[in-house]
Amino acid sequence: MRELAGKLLRMDRRVIFILIALATLIPLLRPIGFPIRISPEVKRVYDYIESLPPGSVFLLSLDFDPASKPELYPMAVALLNHAFKRDLRVIGMTLWVTGTGMAEKVVSGIANEYGKRRGVDYTFLGYSPGGTNVIINMGQDLAAAFPTDHYGERTADLPVMRGVTSLRQVNYVVSLAAGTPGVESWYVYGKEKYGFELGGGVTAVIAPGLYPFLDTGQINGLIGGLRGAAEYETLVGLKGKAVAGMDAQSATHFVIIGLIVLCNLFYFLTPRIGLRTLPGTRSGSSESR
Amino acid sequence: MTLFLRRTFPLILTFLFGVAGALQYYIPHPVSEAALTEVSVWLRIILGFAMILGIASLCHVHYAKIRIRSAGWGYSLVVYLSMLATVAVGVWSRGQEEGTGFGWIYTYTLLALQGTMFAMLGFFVASAAFRAFRARSKEAAVLLTAAILMMFGRVPLGEYLAPVAGPIAGWLLNVLNTAARRGILIGISLGGIATSIKIIFGIERSYLGGRD
Repeated sequence: MRELAGKLLRMDRRVIFILIALATLIPLLRPIGFPIRISPEVKRVYDYIESLPPGSVFLLSLDFDPASKPELYPMAVALLNHAFKRDLRVIGMTLWVTGTGMAEKVVSGIANEYGKRRGVDYTFLGYSPGGTNVIINMGQDLAAAFPTDHYGERTADLPVMRGVTSLRQVNYVVSLAAGTPGVESWYVYGKEKYGFELGGGVTAVIAPGLYPFLDTGQINGLIGGLRGAAEYETLVGLKGKAVAGMDAQSATHFVIIGLIVLCNLFYFLTPRIGLRTLPGTRSGSSESR
Repeated sequence: MTLFLRRTFPLILTFLFGVAGALQYYIPHPVSEAALTEVSVWLRIILGFAMILGIASLCHVHYAKIRIRSAGWGYSLVVYLSMLATVAVGVWSRGQEEGTGFGWIYTYTLLALQGTMFAMLGFFVASAAFRAFRARSKEAAVLLTAAILMMFGRVPLGEYLAPVAGPIAGWLLNVLNTAARRGILIGISLGGIATSIKIIFGIERSYLGGRD
């Protein structure tokens, strides 16, 4: 018992890395497909898009860089599928310069799948420097913030922008954000003054911080992390990367839970057998690496 | 005159723009709206210059490291080389990504490197959780329990094994988490308002530099 407890408390981190790698890889190769429960905050984003009549203006701001691609890209795919399916006029953009190429690819890629015409049914405005000031600028005069779209076409002349001179004419904005500028910026500098409805999609790390905005109605819905993306994919009937990744996430969570429980179990057993100060344990000399 | 330009004039500008910016929000007159449109364009132009300042500062810091051969100066060299290479290829490609070298750098270096860095976090988080999540005190035990409930309830397998796990995780997020976050947000906002008032009225002057 003493030896086993000692070994566990001193476990080399490479063993943990291997366990996590296996817990990620095996479900990806052999998916099980556990049912995904839809949370009310994700359903509210879906319901709002469902309620918009065809031709309504939907602005998707992809405020993230490639580091957050695994969580936020599937959200973008699911939301764009939904918007194009509903025949909304889609305006894509980004407030993060490093996300521009990725954002353009997903907007034009999904649009092509639905046979949508660039400039007529959708456009990608691209990136404009200024961070949160871009939102104020768009609220005042959209063409001043983006005189041309990403492809060099004059924004004011695009059929998809007909009747849209500022954010006041946009029906729904969703910010997919991995930080600042992101959902909070769109609320503080955009929705508060220009009165459009706002939804958010964020990484799991920052999702808990946005729940106060959700309960007060400052944002009407929230898609949080890969789980949120999987829920949205389920709602639109899409078997995308998020749904595929949920089994891997389940497995890794359970590996971590198992490790924590075992570690604590032995931690409480050690006073009787004098293992709490084993070299290499946190209570001992230094943390094992 | 120098003192006026260096201290008094910026203080007057800060006061005027601060008060005007706050009042503008409550005055939806066309003149007020036109002023905001103009200012928002100017703000973006000024931020463009801030980007130049940032790049200059970055170059200066890394140049100093390379010059004195301080620890890790090789990384500074990589920063320089990669930045210059990207700018050169970007200019050559006229900023276009589709089918150009600039697009290739974006897809096969930036995208891949950032993705790799983020993916590695999962491994380190798992290792850190194993070592740090120990119930050494009552507070640590509460944190540990909440973490396990969240990890259990936020994945389909957890909800499949115990259907009540999802609603429990939802309650933790919607009630306990929201209450704590709201308290923090109110504190931050009050602090922000207080600091803004101090800046507008010239009580807080650190942004002018430390010489006066």
